[in-house]
Parts: sequence; structure tokens; C-alpha cells
Amino acid sequence: MTDFIKGRLTRRALLQGATALPLVGIAAPAVLAQGMSKSPNKVLDFLTNADVAKAEQEGQLVFYCHENEAGTAGIMEGFHNDFPKIKTSYVRAQTGALYSKILAERQAGRFDVDVIQLSDLSPAFDFQKKGGYEHYESPESTGYKKDNLSSPNGYFFWTGVDPAGIAYNSEKLTGAAPKEWKDILDPRWKGKISCKISASGLQFVQWYALRKIYGDGFWKEFAKLQPHALDSRVQLFDRLAKGDDMITAVGEYPAYILFKSKGAKVEFVAPPDGLVATPLVVGAVNKAPHPEASKLFVDWAMSKRGQAWYQTNPNLYYGSVRTDAPPMPTGVKLSDFKLLYPNDWDEYASQQAAYLKEWNGILGL
Amino acid sequence: MPTPGPSPKPHIEVENLEVNFGAVPAVRGVSFSVAPGDQLTLLGPSGCGKTTTLRAIAGLEKPIGGEIRIDGVPMYSSARQINIPAEKRGLSMVFQSYAIWPHMTVFENVAYGLRVRRASSTEIAEKVDHALGMVQMRAFAGRRASQLSGGQQQRVALARAFVFSPSVLLFDEPLSNLDAKLRGDMRLELRELQHRLGITSVYVTHDLEEALAMSDRIVVMRDGLVEQVGTPDEIYGLPRSAFVADFVGSANLIRGRHRADLSKDGLVALETAGGQVIYGTAYGRPVGAELTMSVRTVHLQICAAPPPGAPNVWPVRVEKTVFQGDFSQLHVLWGDQHLVVRCAAMEPVPAGSDVYMTVEPRRVVLLAAEAAASA
Amino acid sequence: MQKLAGYGVAAVAAVLVLYPVFYLLQAAFDTGDPVARPPTEYGVDNFAAVLNYPQILLNTLTVSFAATLMALVIGFVMAWILARTNVPGRRVFEQLMVVPYYLTPLLGALAWSMLGQPESGFINQVWRALGGSEHIIDVNTAYGIAWVMALFEGSVAFVMIAAVMKSMDPSLEEASQVMGASRLRTMLRVTLPLVIPGILGAAIFVFAEMLGSFAVALVLGLPSRYYVITTAIYQFVQQYPPRIQLAAAMGVSLFAVMFVMLFLYRWVVTSGSYATITGKAFRPRVADVGRLRYVLFAICVLYLLAAVALPLATLLFASVQKIAVAFPGADNFTLGNFSAAMSMNAARSALSNSLILGFATATLGVPLMGLLAWLIYRSRLPGAGLIEYVVMFPQAVPRLVFAFGMMWAWVVFPIPIYGTMWLLLIAYLTVFLPLGVRTISGVMLQIDKSLEECAQMCGASWTFRTRTVTIPLLWPGLIAAWLLLFIASIRELGASILLMGAHSKVITPTIVESYFGTASELTATLALIQTLVIAAAMIVLVAFTRRVGAHPVE
Repeated sequence: MTDFIKGRLTRRALLQGATALPLVGIAAPAVLAQGMSKSPNKVLDFLTNADVAKAEQEGQLVFYCHENEAGTAGIMEGFHNDFPKIKTSYVRAQTGALYSKILAERQAGRFDVDVIQLSDLSPAFDFQKKGGYEHYESPESTGYKKDNLSSPNGYFFWTGVDPAGIAYNSEKLTGAAPKEWKDILDPRWKGKISCKISASGLQFVQWYALRKIYGDGFWKEFAKLQPHALDSRVQLFDRLAKGDDMITAVGEYPAYILFKSKGAKVEFVAPPDGLVATPLVVGAVNKAPHPEASKLFVDWAMSKRGQAWYQTNPNLYYGSVRTDAPPMPTGVKLSDFKLLYPNDWDEYASQQAAYLKEWNGILGL
Repeated sequence: MPTPGPSPKPHIEVENLEVNFGAVPAVRGVSFSVAPGDQLTLLGPSGCGKTTTLRAIAGLEKPIGGEIRIDGVPMYSSARQINIPAEKRGLSMVFQSYAIWPHMTVFENVAYGLRVRRASSTEIAEKVDHALGMVQMRAFAGRRASQLSGGQQQRVALARAFVFSPSVLLFDEPLSNLDAKLRGDMRLELRELQHRLGITSVYVTHDLEEALAMSDRIVVMRDGLVEQVGTPDEIYGLPRSAFVADFVGSANLIRGRHRADLSKDGLVALETAGGQVIYGTAYGRPVGAELTMSVRTVHLQICAAPPPGAPNVWPVRVEKTVFQGDFSQLHVLWGDQHLVVRCAAMEPVPAGSDVYMTVEPRRVVLLAAEAAASA
Repeated sequence: MQKLAGYGVAAVAAVLVLYPVFYLLQAAFDTGDPVARPPTEYGVDNFAAVLNYPQILLNTLTVSFAATLMALVIGFVMAWILARTNVPGRRVFEQLMVVPYYLTPLLGALAWSMLGQPESGFINQVWRALGGSEHIIDVNTAYGIAWVMALFEGSVAFVMIAAVMKSMDPSLEEASQVMGASRLRTMLRVTLPLVIPGILGAAIFVFAEMLGSFAVALVLGLPSRYYVITTAIYQFVQQYPPRIQLAAAMGVSLFAVMFVMLFLYRWVVTSGSYATITGKAFRPRVADVGRLRYVLFAICVLYLLAAVALPLATLLFASVQKIAVAFPGADNFTLGNFSAAMSMNAARSALSNSLILGFATATLGVPLMGLLAWLIYRSRLPGAGLIEYVVMFPQAVPRLVFAFGMMWAWVVFPIPIYGTMWLLLIAYLTVFLPLGVRTISGVMLQIDKSLEECAQMCGASWTFRTRTVTIPLLWPGLIAAWLLLFIASIRELGASILLMGAHSKVITPTIVESYFGTASELTATLALIQTLVIAAAMIVLVAFTRRVGAHPVE
């Protein structure tokens, strides 16, 4: 706990830490081949180093997740279906709020969380530095490229990718449909365009990526449109479907699929520059109340089985980064999209304070 | 005025009692004592501090100075820092609102004090029955207390107050919520009850008739201070101050110069500003240069012809006659002063008549000088 | 024994109330490193930072003023109609007037957001179907927010104004009429001036409440970026990194203003020279308004429609659709939302947690607040007056701000209760102190002091007479207080939303989270379920207090 309370995220500290970490993308040699001292068990159709019997004895899993209510419940449902003896409970909040919460709790001496899923790498790095993640190398890590794992492996992994383009309400739209990212700056969207709140990881990525491409003035123009900021993609598409907003700057592909299937009059646009995407990262938490269950979950989530669930559950529809993952239910593979990721995650993480300042300002806070 | 005979050791003693009501001084230095078995009444207009004094004796108000002793034992003493809580003083009280507990039966109400004292159920049954019998409420024992009339509640309150044989009973205007007829009857019953039980009581009322009828001694209070202490006769017949004179029955106040040269037979002569001379009795009070005398309206007599040999006789004119049923009130002009005469209505005297007025000198009471000054 | 109980309970109250306030103040003046506890430097920079958000301050004032005005109008009109005219069904209406307050303002906000959003709002859909253009109402504006606030938080105004009207001696008006003044003239020249201090008091009180309002601004204001201080504080705390110091400074500023308002209220009410409030309850003269009473009846019905029937119907309507629209096609209906709601483990656990907490709060709260009420109003123990201020203190602090102080305070407490049900229990007991103490003391003061004094004179010790006289007499009031506390716990939002943890979810904040994180139809379903629970409790409350004769005091 002591390493927690005094920790402070300064730009300098992060950069210092960052230089100590091998940069993601420049892989440290064969991390994966090392450190697996136990031989894994096979349970159902995947490998795990967790003691399944003990996990079932623990009987519970506490999951903190950034997903909306239905999505989080969906993830838990998948795990619970496979391991009925383990009861699941969860807390959901948008990534920024979720991270604040878990830090505050740990500072207060409460360690109630087994696994945490975030929609932003920046807090994941921070949590890793603070020793918040449990170091556990899953035998299922073999299914992943090094880019999609923590560095070194064993802290968190990319359980999926949430790509987003532009989406609009086809019934309410006036004028020509948007085609590229620049089109979202059109003054006719004033008061009728939505985005995500500043706690959203995806929003951070979009801010970073589009700024890099189009320059600092991009978001200043966007601010003039007085966008509505929403907490979750469900709420965002809810408003879009009903016409409360005409267009959204953050149209997440999974939500588009879901609402289209419900009969909503929404259309999706994949701009030529690419879809902004944020990795969704899962990791077991240190000092978890149910350590075996949490390891089991990590293995489950990483496995083909778990990834299939993440990809096909209508509340999730994540794009999987597992090397042997099948296409998404719509027939599209993640690699079919041009995805806009930050190249340098550390530089990205260091921009967080600037992002928050600008984004809060855009939202009037 | 000292009462005749040796005084028994007092049961209740109040010495220099001072009580504040919030920031306002309600009782500003009151002293009196009560002999065992007596009823002492605190009499005065509202706001005079009589209820506060009673509640201080009960232990329901905390005084700021003075001492209260029961049977020589201090219940409150500011000097010795003693303040025994009300429930431990062993007194009993009848409240103005009766304070009957609506959620209990009559029996339970009366039995309460015995239950507190952990009496056995046979003892309780016996004593409650006896107490209810004394107030003629036996038939109501099982009744819910909330279903009683005012008078019935009053009796139950009374029974409850003496069932556990307290040595002292405190009464806070117990009859003021009853109608006039009932009040009169209850007065007698209460008096009788006290005599039968031999209880010492302190009684608070603003009703003059009640005080005169029931008390062994009366303390007249005004503005937190004692005006006069004495038996009903003394208070009525020998008022010390103009206030007492006027509060206890109706009185005419006559002011003037002392005419020492006209003194005869031990009587004191007073000459008014209008030149009238009246003879009164000093009753041991100091005779100064300026005097005030009090004459009760009932003691002034109207007659057609002057009675021979009477020291106080004057011709007066009747200005107004007010018929009041049992008596008539005559307003007469005496010199330059208006006096009120109360006489039996047997012979109506028409307004405008010239008649004679006389009064016995012993009925003309010299008021105590200091008290008169404050009138 | 008396002293022990009295001072013991006073100490408990003092800790409950002052501990979080201390930390709130500490955070507001903390200008050092936000993560360092205890603070490294102190200063007033945070308050200066508050001034960087003039729009938020302005919004708060605008909305509060507008809402207060609307609430006063509604309250006055309804109080007049129900207390002074012979409109049919008066008794029933009076009871129904407080229903909107017990149905949470959150529910009202949710329903009205479904009714009044410019594009998707049902009312606007109907308007467009009838040939109108654009929209006829926009509930996401300041006035929309104020309107919903007035509807659901304004019945307090009604209760207060009605009380003023009932305590006016009708002979004052009769004197005017005997001298030949018309009814209208009497009302303007006699009645109105006499009730004005009472109305003024109500205005100040309602304004203070509106300043601290949270639920409506959250649901209706947030999506359209309309922030008031309470919702801004909520946002600041939810962000990463959380702007605790700024939030604390805003909270303290708000509570300072509310404190002044409540002080003003007390001054107006207690020093009024308009001695019509004699404390006796009069039967006010009821005027026969002839045919007009059917119009007035319609007005009453209209109010209840807007505040009760319409919102409930809207939620019901939305909850049975896949995508809620005003004119659904036949294939748009489903019961799936109900099964989804009940299977969401958040909803199930939240509901059961709320019931358990409600039970615990009420059962612990009644003895605690009963003792406090006795301490303040009946005992003669020195310092009792001070305790009254401590107990009423949470009234002046918006729930959210108080909870913020609690969150900040209990995080550093050595025993880890942060994030548990215990913390919520403590929070509820604290913020409900004014409600509970006021309710119980209202009943207590009706009991003649002499009933207890007489027991004293019969020799009963404090414990004996409390057991045999005080508690039996108080019993109906205690039951009413229990029910009130139970309902208040279940509908609580402002404090719970900040203090909830993974294992301590409660229903009302869960509905809010659902609003932000799920489809609106599901949210409507959850809100309906919560309403049913509260309605059941309310029916019991009304039936019980009617039978026993005690009055559930606001």
C-alpha cells in the first residue's frame, strides 16, 4: 500500500518511468518464452495456470469495467456461463472515473477488485507502474503479438479494440452525408453533434490522433459546435437513434451494429484517414480478494473461447487482436479497417493533462 | 403579624428564593414557611412568580439563589450547592392541566406512584381503591383516562397525588379550568380531603375567594416579591400595602396629612387634601407625616341621619348607583374624592341623594409606610 | 443516566456532522499537492478558481430563482384552492400533493426528459404530428430544468404555505368583510399582507433547497452541457484526475450561501410581527366559489397529472418499447426490458441493498433522533441549543457536498469502511438528522410537558418515565418517523452516488448510472420498479398516520 499513497503522476515521472520501460513496439526479446514455471492445465478448451478448483472455492469475481451496464453484464455473463460456481459482481464507470475510484479505494485500504478492464492505455501504464496489476503470465499469451501485451508481459493485455468512425441519423440528416473527419467541423452540426466525456479513453485517442493529423486548430473548431458529451456509446446511440443528436463524432462500430439490428435509422461512415481505435485492456489486480478466480478470468478472456464471446456478444462486438481470431459477426475482420492508433504510446500518455484541459474546456468545465 | 401560640417546627421553609425564567427574574427573593398540616396559598396576579415558586419547591425549576428545606432537610441550597432532583424529593403535585396520562386507565394512572415505589400488587389494589373511593371515582377505575370529563380528570389527578401518602402536596391552580359552580364544590372537597389526610400543602391560585376559603396562611406576591404573609383574616382585615388592600377585596385608598393635634382615644387622624378628616387605627404601623389609609367598600355605611357619637361621620352625595344583584355599588362624593360603597341591596338609594356616610375607626386601616410608598 | 444519554447522543451527532465538514473545509483550503494527505499548503486559490466558472454560478442562480418562483406560484395557488375554497375532494388532494416529493425528482426528470426533449420527446412528437414545426417545449433548457424542479421539489412550498394559511385567524378576514369589502379586496388588503411573511419564509427555504438540487440538473442538464454547481462538483469528482480541491471550494461556496439563506429564513419566521401565527390551528374560512370550483378542481387534477400521472405513464409507456417513440409500431412492444432489468445483477443487488439500508437507517435513526429531539427540546441540559444547530446543519449543505466531505473524510479513517454499506448507513443517518429530529420533535412538542413532569413528581426516574410515559405517547410519531426515514433512504441520490461501492450499490444512483450507461427504455423500467417499492411504503405511511392521527411533517 505504501507504494500507492505517495505515488504521483507527473509528466516527468512518467517520462522517467517510460524510459525505463522498453517502448512498446520495440519488443524485448522473447519475454513470452520465459517465466512459466508451472505447466498449465487445460480447462474447457483453454489453458490456465490458475487453480480452477480453488477459484471455484473462492466462488466470486469482482470486475471493474469501463463498459456500459449491458456490456459489463455481458462480459460477466460469458464467464459465469462457463464457470457457474463463480458468482460475478461488477462496478462500471467510464475509464477516468473508474481509475480514480480504484485508486481512492486502494488508498483507503480497501482491496476489493479482482480484475480491471480499461479503455485507455494511459491509466494502464500508470497502474502498472504503481504496482496495481498482479504479475501473471497467462499461457494463452501465445495467441497475441507483443504489441498487444503489456511490457513486460503479465500485467495486462488487449482484450479487444473499439474502432469508431462517424455515425449519423439517416432520417434527420439535412444536406450531404459526412465522408471524412474534417466534415465533422461543419457549422451546420452546431448543437446537434455528440462526442464522449473526457473520462473516455476512446475520446483521448481521437483527440490525440486527429490533432496529429490535422493540427492543433482542429479541436478548437470543434469546440464551436458545442457538442453534447455522453458517458457511454449506448447513451450516445440512443440519442442518435431518437434524433436528439443528428450526428456523432465518435460513432463506435459495435454500437452501430447493435442499434442497426434494433431497427434504428443510423448510418456509419469510415473516414479515409482511418477509424480511431482504442485498445481495451484487461489485467488482474494485485492483492485481489479472489486471486485464483482473477487469474482464471484473465486466461478465459485471452483464450479463443473468451475472445469469441467478446466478439459475438451484441453488447460488446469487440474487434479481437488475437492472432487466430475469426472475423466479427458482420463478416468484417479488424484488419479490414484502417485503424488510427498512436505510434508512441508513451508520448500519448504524456499528453493526458493537455487533453483533459482542452476537452474539459470544450465541454464547459 | 405574629400568630398567637407557640409556632410548631415548620415543615417547608423557603428562604430568599431567587428564580429566573430564562433571562427574566421571576422570583426575586421570597421567604416563607409552612407549618405541618397547614395549607399555605401563594396568591397574586399572573406573572407575580407564584407558579415559579411552587415549581421551584417541586424541583421542576432550578433557582439561582436561596434555600428550600423540607423537614429541615435542604432540597435546594445555592450556598451549599445542593439541588435534589424532583423525583427524589418525595413531594406530590396536582397540575393545572391535570396531566392525566391518556394511554393508561384510571386505575393505572393512580397506581403509577405506587408502581414507582415497587409496591406489591395487593397493596396497589388496596390503596388505589381507597384513593378512588375518597374522590368518588371508584366506578371509573377501568375506564380509559382519555374518556373523562374535566372534573373527573381533576379527581383522578387528586387521587393519584395522594395515593402514595406523600407528606407534602403542591397544587398549581388545580381548579382554574373548571366552571364556577364546580369550582365552588371542589374547593370544599379539597379542603376536607386535606384535613382528613393531614397533608401539608402549598397552593397556588389567582382566585381570591379560593385563597380566603381554603388557606391557613396566605402569601400575597407581586412581581417576584412577597407583599404580605398572614392568615386570611389578617390579609383581608389588616392589609399592609395599597396593593394588598386592593387585590384582596375592594378598597378605597385615602391619602392625607397626619393631624396629630386631632388624635383622640388612640385613633390616628388624617386630613385629606379636600379637608375631610377621618379617624383610623394604626395597628402598630409607623405613623409618619403623610399617611395612607384603606377602607373596605363594605365597611362604609350609608344612613339617612348621622349616628350620634360616631367619630367618622360625613354628609356625602350619591353620584351613581350600580345594581349588582346581591349588593349595590354606590359611588359617592366625599369632599373632593370619589369613594365606592358596597351595600346590601335592600334599600336602593337613588343617585343624587344627599346622605350620611359613616365607618368604624377600627375598619380604617393605616397602611405600612414603605409599602404605601411603593403603591 | 439522563446526562449520559443526552451527552452521548450529542457527541454522536457532533461527530457525524462535523467530521465530514472539517474535511470538506480542509480540502477547500488545500492548495498543495492534491494527492498528499494531510495537505501541505493552505490558501484561498481554490476559491479564486471557482470564479473561473461564472457560467456555472449564473446557471445555478438562474435555475434556482426560476424554480423557486414557479414552486411558489404552484404552492400558493394549490394552497389557496385546497385551504380556502370548497373545491370537491379537498382531503384527498391534500394527501396527494406530497406524492411528487416522495416519488423521486429523479423519476420526474427521467420522465420529463422522455416527454420534453426537443427531438425525441413524446410531447414534441405529438406536436409535430399535429402539424407543428420543430418543437413546442425543450426540457433541456434552464426553464425546463426549473419547471421539473418546481414540480417535484416544490411541494415543500405547498406544505409551508398551506400551514401559514391554516394558522391565520379567519376573524381577521371576517372583520374586513363585515365592513363591506369585497372578497377580492379582502384578499388583497387583508389576507395577502398577513400571509406574506410566511410566504417569504417559504420562498427562502425553497430557494435554499433548489440551490442544492442535483437529480434534475443531472439528468436534464448534463447532456446539454448545462451545469449547475452540484452537477459540476459531481463531474469534477468523476474525472481522472479528480479535481477535488476545486470541487470542495465550490461546495463550500454553495453551502455558505445556503447557510445564509436558512439563517434569513429563521429570522423572518421567528421575528415576524405579523402575529397571526399564534400557534393555534384555526379552521380557515372556506369560501364558496360556486361554479368556479369545477375549474379549480380541474387545476388540481392538472397539477397531479403533470407531476404524477403523466410521468408514471410515460415511464410505463417507454418501458414496454424497444425504442421508445410516441407512436410505436406494433412490433415495437416488448416485455424484454423488465426481464433484462431484473436480471441485471446491479439492479437486483441495488434494490435489496436499498431495502436493507432503509430498514437499518430507520431502525437506528429513530432512537438516535428521538433522543436528540428530547435532548434539544425537552431536557434542560446545558448546551442543548448548540446541539440543535449541529443537528440542523446538514440542512444547509447540499447532500452531494456533504457526501463529498464524507468521502474525503472517511477515506483516511483507520477502519476501512469506505465503499461499504456501513459508510452509506453513516451517511444516511447524518443527512437525515434534520428530517428525523424535526418530525419527532414536532410530535414531542405536542405532548404537554406536564405529563412527564407529573411522572417525575410521582417519583419516577428518567428511564422509568421515558419508558412508561414518553415513549407510549410518542409511539405514533415514532412510527411515522420510521416510515419517513425508510422512504427517504430508498429515494436518496446525492449522498449515495458518491459513496456507493462495488458491494454497496443502492437503487436510485443505480438508476442514474443506468441512464448514462444503458438505453433509456431500460432506465425507465428500473425507475418504475423503484417507484413501486416507494409507493408501497408510502401507502403504508399514509394509511397508518391517518388512522393514528399523527402528521408526517416535512
